[in-house]
Amino acid sequence: MKNGNIKKLSALILTAAVIGTAMTACGGSKRASSGASGSNSGTVALKDTFTYAQGADPRGLDPAYVDDGESAKVMCNIYEGLLKYSKDSTQVQPCLAEKYEVSADGMTYTFHLRKNVKFHDGTPFNADAVKASIDRQLEPNVSDEMPYASFVFGSIKAKSGVKEVKVVDENTVEIDLFSPETPFIKNVAMVMAAPIASPTALKANNGNLNEKPVGTGPYKFVSWDKGQNIKLVRNDDYWGEKAKTKNVVFRFITENSARDIALTSGEVDAIDGISASDVSQLTGAGDKIFSADGMTINYMAYNVTGTKFKDVAARKAFSQAVNVPELVKSLYKDYATPATSIMPFFMNAGSKDVKSTSFDKAAAKAGLAKAGITSVNMITYSNPRPYNTVGGQVLAEAIQGYLKDVGVTCNIKTYDWTTYKSVVQKGDYDVCFYGWTGDNGDPDNFMNLLDDPDPSMNVAHYNNPDYHALIGKGLTTAAGADRDKIYTQCEQKAADDNVWLVISHAKNLAAYSPKVSGYYYHVTGITPFAGVTVAK
Amino acid sequence: MVKYTIKRILMLIPVLLGVSLVVFLIMRVFSPDPAPVVLGEHASTQAMQAWREAHGLNEPIWLQFIDFLKNAVTGNFGVSYYTNQPVSNEIMSRFPATVELAICAIIFASVFGVLLGVVAAVHKNTFADYASTLVALAGISMPIFWLGILLILLFTGTLHLLPSTGRIDPMLQPTGGTGLYLWDTLTSGDFEAFGNAVQHLIMPTLALSLYSMAIITRMTRSSMLDTLNQDYIRTARAKGITRRRVIRHHALRNAMIPITTVIGLQFGSLLGGAVLTETVFAWPGIGKYTVECIQKSDFPVVQAVVLIIATIYVIINLIVDLIYAFLDPRIKYSKEEG
Repeated sequence: MKNGNIKKLSALILTAAVIGTAMTACGGSKRASSGASGSNSGTVALKDTFTYAQGADPRGLDPAYVDDGESAKVMCNIYEGLLKYSKDSTQVQPCLAEKYEVSADGMTYTFHLRKNVKFHDGTPFNADAVKASIDRQLEPNVSDEMPYASFVFGSIKAKSGVKEVKVVDENTVEIDLFSPETPFIKNVAMVMAAPIASPTALKANNGNLNEKPVGTGPYKFVSWDKGQNIKLVRNDDYWGEKAKTKNVVFRFITENSARDIALTSGEVDAIDGISASDVSQLTGAGDKIFSADGMTINYMAYNVTGTKFKDVAARKAFSQAVNVPELVKSLYKDYATPATSIMPFFMNAGSKDVKSTSFDKAAAKAGLAKAGITSVNMITYSNPRPYNTVGGQVLAEAIQGYLKDVGVTCNIKTYDWTTYKSVVQKGDYDVCFYGWTGDNGDPDNFMNLLDDPDPSMNVAHYNNPDYHALIGKGLTTAAGADRDKIYTQCEQKAADDNVWLVISHAKNLAAYSPKVSGYYYHVTGITPFAGVTVAK
Repeated sequence: MVKYTIKRILMLIPVLLGVSLVVFLIMRVFSPDPAPVVLGEHASTQAMQAWREAHGLNEPIWLQFIDFLKNAVTGNFGVSYYTNQPVSNEIMSRFPATVELAICAIIFASVFGVLLGVVAAVHKNTFADYASTLVALAGISMPIFWLGILLILLFTGTLHLLPSTGRIDPMLQPTGGTGLYLWDTLTSGDFEAFGNAVQHLIMPTLALSLYSMAIITRMTRSSMLDTLNQDYIRTARAKGITRRRVIRHHALRNAMIPITTVIGLQFGSLLGGAVLTETVFAWPGIGKYTVECIQKSDFPVVQAVVLIIATIYVIINLIVDLIYAFLDPRIKYSKEEG
């Protein structure tokens, strides 16, 4: 055979081999899912891998060093805290602590720890581990790169939050606070900062488990291929009910449409971060939608220290120009609830009774004319946010339309989110758009935004002594009806003063294959997968 | 030749210094403050100030630049502001994905680009010429983003033949190795994983290579037309050498010099990361990652990536120039030419 022919033949064989193997893989079963599924639900055969797609890589996997939702979704399967939130609300229930007591003065919390619990690396869970996990986030150990440390545990320097963590015995921990803080108990159940990490792993990894997380949760960390996926495997030594699916894979797919297609084509079993406009396409393909009220508020804030909206009457007139229910329906379809209060109703039932300013075009026109307002400087953000999936510019333009009807021109300036946060701090605007995603489910977490001295949090620059007093009272009052009343008063005060135009509470939206059971997206934005199964 | 190569390597220094300076200034002057991104929603103004101080962001810009250069020379690009991990680790975990895709795309674009270009030139003003010109026109005109979505809709949505996202089924992913999955799976004899990786590569390769293929086709056609009109081609034919042999050994080899330049430049830009392709197909490469880091004002990562990509680009250009001598022995990098 000639040399040239041999080359051609070799090339043909190689090509055929490549195509052949590709087709074999295409039609063949996947190795991981072809093994024994360990079906435990009667006659339905189950897959041993659940694949979930989210929009980005986590920032890291050490609860002390991260602040983003993508990290939280992975970490909640690896770590556990002393307490956890119940499935449908932010009520706390036992987790690594079997029970707890609060002293009469509200300044000492005693946690009785669960016995015979081990971290994934075999280290026993005990009071020393709890102390190590908290102490690393208090002065002098805390670093600037621990974004939730001061929120969850306070600051010794500022004499707020945790004063000292005492090991009473192997299974009892006492946490002393500087002053009574009712939200503390909700903080202990958070996925940021609060979970307990293995002290052995902390020592071995220089105090940072971002790349090598070790907790006590139902899943153990296996690997993280940046930009691609994180793999977890069931913790067979878990102290509670074992996870139902052996492997969990988190995949990172940035584009919404690409995530949708990955779900409909069966590459992944569930996705989050879907927009309302994708719902019909996904349901049309047979997928299921998870939709539940989220812990968010989407609002427009008046700069109450500026010249135009110093007076309540002007703010009220501006708010009356906007038909909020119509606006919300038009922008978010059925996937956001028009807001009448700052907190979603499930956080505080009393919020339902708040009387807020409603749409009245004639009154708005008269009020704005009386205040002499003909033009307004608005600033907003371009990116979609969890509380505003259409982005700030679309929302601002919709409101601009309503104001045009009453003779007011709105000049909109739009910035990307990172720049926007710096611009907002300068306070050079009449009106700005913002929002909030709750951290711990405590009313203080929403209502103290209007009492925060930091202008990047309190973008309305509202400063009212009566409101301040109510917030202080709420912080120290024990949980219960009396405390709820205080926050309802806060709500009414903010509504009467028209500090914000509250717009909507976004729903948490996710989609999953009809083969998936047990999936839910918690109101705090976490996704525990221990109860999830996937039929073959 | 050696002298020429050394001279070209020395010329890298001012080029890379210039690139570093421009990127450094753009990031420092036009990017938002990284402190709020890094420290989160609850950070106080004092904490942000302390963080900036600790990371040298309050120093004069020229001093920050000198610090960056001093570290870069030793290969130390610092730590990512956002993830707190060494920049070199962050980059190296994503770079193999970009390299693998770029290699596949440039091979596909070169093979089909040269083939179409030769066919178009040899059959000038025939249906084959018009068809290849049309393909080239489509390749240049179609936005990659749009083409990617069309491919996904066809091959994943309608035909259910190919996966739409990622590099490989996560449960088949090879561990360790070079990070080039085709190579790793093939050398380990894992043909199921190899086939799966090939499947994942097909659509991104097609989407990414079409533009390069169009450029190569056009360059091949015009270069071949020039060469085919040369006297020595007529002489070769007159000597009785077959048409096919004349085209392959006489015309194409001589026409390859400008084509090689184009292929080299295209490969350089593909290695810089194909942001749109990586985004549409969730390909975990360096391009998409850099854009994410720009949005987060993660200065150390962006500076390092741009410097590395610029270095690779310049080195590829150098290699292309050196290949000229191999393709055309008449080219000598002598003193006079240097």
